[in-house]
Amino acid sequence: MTDILDDFDENELSLLETFDHVLSRGLVISGQITISVAGVDLIYLGLNVLLSSVETIKEILLSREEAHAEISAIGSAANQLQKPE
Amino acid sequence: MSLYAYCLGDDIKLEMIGSSGVAEAPVYLIDTRGLAAVVSDFDGAMVPVNRGAVLSHERVVASILAATTPLPFRFGTLVSQEKLESYVESNFEKLLLQLNRVRGSVEMSVKIIWRPEKKDDEGAERASIVSAETGPGSRFLMAKRRELEESESLKEHGEEIASWLASIVECCVRESVVQVRPGGSLALSAAHLVERHRLEEYRHRVSAGLAERIALRFLTSGPWPPYSFCDLSG
Repeated sequence: MTDILDDFDENELSLLETFDHVLSRGLVISGQITISVAGVDLIYLGLNVLLSSVETIKEILLSREEAHAEISAIGSAANQLQKPE
Repeated sequence: MSLYAYCLGDDIKLEMIGSSGVAEAPVYLIDTRGLAAVVSDFDGAMVPVNRGAVLSHERVVASILAATTPLPFRFGTLVSQEKLESYVESNFEKLLLQLNRVRGSVEMSVKIIWRPEKKDDEGAERASIVSAETGPGSRFLMAKRRELEESESLKEHGEEIASWLASIVECCVRESVVQVRPGGSLALSAAHLVERHRLEEYRHRVSAGLAERIALRFLTSGPWPPYSFCDLSG
């Protein structure tokens, strides 16, 4: 029987934890967060399983979309989500 | 040209910064009424989410954490100097309160992951017999009921684990932010604000606690800047 943590080595887990902390928490200056999903690497996609931070990015992008109506930029970035670096 | 903001504090010195910033840019300070924001110049409208950028952000903040406890900005914060100064001016009192809240402390993280459990063979057999005898509507409702029962059971289990973890660390934790069943396979995600001089005691207590619960998987990490304790909304 496998465990979800067995899929990651210690360095990867450390990186996942770093992603989880810096992407979803911390001081926010209203309207100034600009995060691109383009160039997201494959290990980051693993967060979707383990740490749910992809949801945070989606929320940030949605807020940005609402604030700036940059729908085309979001769509373009989303299209590149599957591309590794 | 924007500023990329890493963190801010009231006792940050330039010599504490031990690393270049995102995109290898030099890091410097912008002082507003005695609060220093750690920034670097950034040429572009968006910060790419990739390993290099995230680690650059974290290295800058971590180098300051080694000397003092700053308030970290969320990754990807791009701002003009005017906007940054206006932000510090307008939130000055709140920022000071937050700095006093976290002063001398660091964030420690505990995540608890469910271990996959063996399927209940008897239950599965019972379900297959019922499936053969009932119509699709009944099967759908029964599946829904099982789903709800499982969800309720996991919630109760998660809350029990949260109480247990709190009892283990309460004597050496200043504050906690705990999410029960935040998503995916996580039973619990806890951030603990721990005073630096109590870190060893905290680590010892968590390690001893982990040995008690061999049925769970733990992911512990830290010390981190107080990412989970930077809420200016209160």
